Amino acid sequence: MEFSYEVKDSYAEVKADGRLNMVSAPKLREFVTDVIAGGSNRIVVNLERTAFMDSSGLGALIGCLKAARQAGGDLRIAAVQPQVNMVLKLTSMDKVLTAYPTAEEAFSND
Amino acid sequence: MTEVLASRSFRGPAAGDAIEAVHNDLDSLWLDVPFVSDMDQMTFTTAVIESASNIVQHAQPAGPRDVELGVETVVRPHLLQARVSAYNAKPPYGPLDACIPGEDAESGRGLALIEALVTTVTFERQDGTNTWVLTRTSSQD
Repeated sequence: MEFSYEVKDSYAEVKADGRLNMVSAPKLREFVTDVIAGGSNRIVVNLERTAFMDSSGLGALIGCLKAARQAGGDLRIAAVQPQVNMVLKLTSMDKVLTAYPTAEEAFSND
Repeated sequence: MTEVLASRSFRGPAAGDAIEAVHNDLDSLWLDVPFVSDMDQMTFTTAVIESASNIVQHAQPAGPRDVELGVETVVRPHLLQARVSAYNAKPPYGPLDACIPGEDAESGRGLALIEALVTTVTFERQDGTNTWVLTRTSSQD
């Protein structure tokens, strides 16, 4: 899995490309932690190119959400694909990790 | 026993690379049986990867040999089955029943997720090998 980020006007967009599994989950956690340490506490994780997520990946997203909130901000997810949506719903975590159709919409009403 | 339409088999050291290899095996398996619905492919792949990851993360060696992961996946008419094994492993420690952790927990959802994704989950232990057998009835055309 590959990660990249771009700082926008009111948030930082993190793109995750590949499978978010037990191998890549710690790397996402580390990547987002570094983005937060760099001064961005409003994070959008763009999952458009994340075709697969398991419970390890979900745990990493929750860890990143907690880190963003501890820094006074928030983390939202965008462009969720069908398998990721299925995992979010089956674990009822769709109520905790708010999903938006696009990264641009995630913080547009704040 | 009904006809085997497609199958894949993996065995190797229980490490992160094995998870990627098993996932690649599953992706190629579905190419052989395109009549299996996207939903069945998606749910079964998720359950198998969860189960295999559980072994890589938690299985403890029973002796001097390292734990190996084995995954045998078989597609039969209207049935998907996977045998996910931890070789050279101690019996699993802790509860085998799924529970739902709090919403801020960063782990502990794997077993509940597996149970939600498949029709049956059974556990066998024989000759130092722990095997989880996952089945899902499949709505094939």
